[in-house]
Amino acid sequence: MEVKKIFLPESELPRQWYNILADMPTPMEPPLHPGTGKPVGPEDLAPIFPMNLIEQEVSPKRFIDIPEEVLKIYTIWRPTPMYRAYNLEKFLKTPAKIYFKNEGVSPAGSHKPNTSVPQAYYNKVAGTKRITTETGAGQWGSALAMACAFFGLECKVYMVKISYNQKPYRRIMMETWGANCVASPSTETKAGQSILAQNPDSPGSLGIAISEAVESAVTGKDSKYSLGSVLNHVMLHQTVNGLECQKQMAIAGDYPDVIIGCCGGGSNFAGCAFPFVRDKINGKKIDIIAVEPLSCPTMTRGPFAYDFGDTVMMTPLLPMHTLGHSFVPAPIHAGGLRYHGMAPTVSQLILDGLIRAEAVPQLETFQAGITFARTEGFISAPETDHAIAMVIREAIKAREEGKQKVILFNWSGHGLVDMAAYDAYLKGKLFDHALPEEEIHRALNDIEKLPKPKQYKPGKI
Amino acid sequence: MIRCRRLGNPVAFSYCRIENKGLPCSMIMDCWYDHFMIEDFLRQELTPDEWDRVFNQPLKPKVLSLVELIEQAKKAKEETQ
Repeated sequence: MEVKKIFLPESELPRQWYNILADMPTPMEPPLHPGTGKPVGPEDLAPIFPMNLIEQEVSPKRFIDIPEEVLKIYTIWRPTPMYRAYNLEKFLKTPAKIYFKNEGVSPAGSHKPNTSVPQAYYNKVAGTKRITTETGAGQWGSALAMACAFFGLECKVYMVKISYNQKPYRRIMMETWGANCVASPSTETKAGQSILAQNPDSPGSLGIAISEAVESAVTGKDSKYSLGSVLNHVMLHQTVNGLECQKQMAIAGDYPDVIIGCCGGGSNFAGCAFPFVRDKINGKKIDIIAVEPLSCPTMTRGPFAYDFGDTVMMTPLLPMHTLGHSFVPAPIHAGGLRYHGMAPTVSQLILDGLIRAEAVPQLETFQAGITFARTEGFISAPETDHAIAMVIREAIKAREEGKQKVILFNWSGHGLVDMAAYDAYLKGKLFDHALPEEEIHRALNDIEKLPKPKQYKPGKI
Repeated sequence: MIRCRRLGNPVAFSYCRIENKGLPCSMIMDCWYDHFMIEDFLRQELTPDEWDRVFNQPLKPKVLSLVELIEQAKKAKEETQ
């Protein structure tokens, strides 16, 4: 019988996280404080992060011990199983071997607890009593709520109002774990009050929610703030995943030729990929692909600025073209050079040529998710569908080239609380084609009644 | 509707148009360029200053954004006291 799942015993759970900063070909430099012009230091971040996490943020150590208390909680779902996707392989008629790491088995349903648990732990050790955060659809908020429950910490989540109203199940999950989740903008902070004064019906935004969460941490007693992606210590905690993958691939008797992960802020991708990036730095030949949503091609052609490296305040030049449905996008690999909100380490590794970025359009991702559900059974989070879409592309390429490649991808979470997105796809409400004119006018009518910026003048379609 | 890559749930164009305190989300071009002539539309909607504020601002490292928010929050705290 074929071996479908590759398990690791709990005794094989990694005891250390891997810190990519120790091996970066291009060392990361701290950004400059806008006020002082000096590198941002620990004291600048101390109002919102405990010192033990700030130390991890800048640590040059290659491996950092995972505390015993964190390991105990990790064992609730870790080590996570690695699967061989035989059914998907057969469906695609590919000679490629496809493996996926199932990070959806955590109680919160995603990879996010890999960092929420240690962040809650280090806060607890540092004397924090209350942690604040922001969340969009709620994946991060629910992971942090669960972690805070384990360590007896109060958890305050500012959830973007439009998501709060659309995603009640994630909110209920947070509340089940004991978090206090409010719609942002809220009346609880000056940042929220200011927005509501201008527009009582504001649907909120992540920017507003972050402002509220940071303000709440700075002004609250014994309070700190927690972020679920982008920062170095978040990437560090996630590497427990990739370190397990290395052991499981060894058990399978394979080594990946291709590693794929979806990449928004970069944490799930980094978690799976960074230990293999180290192998690549040391001479292994691996194609490591970060998959992101398709972006406007005109914004990917010009000079680029990077979130991480903007210490000299390079302004991105955005040569704008008139685009329409007839426009044929440039090869999207160029898109990999422009990242809003992606982890600096991931961005730098792309620049260094150790990772490449690919983009896929929305409908292709959902179609891939449907294919995966109908072959392997699991319903993926829509973000995870980006990785699956790229896996399918690579598997078909392997078929066309007649190569038996080994593909490993990170199945970062299930989509069981994202069924509305699948419903929208299945009913044809999501699209990546030209918007019909009546739909444009309907959308513009929707915003007609909303407050407009000064000097507003309506456009013509 | 499209899926918002920031929030993780479906949103209508009307949300993207006002997401940034009444101005468009800075990723609106990325998300909508393939659906209609979004640049033409926004060029008519926004003043040059507003355009610059949305699309031509230097990208900030996350850590810097957090440092700025900390400073704002400290001021809010002082005002309250």
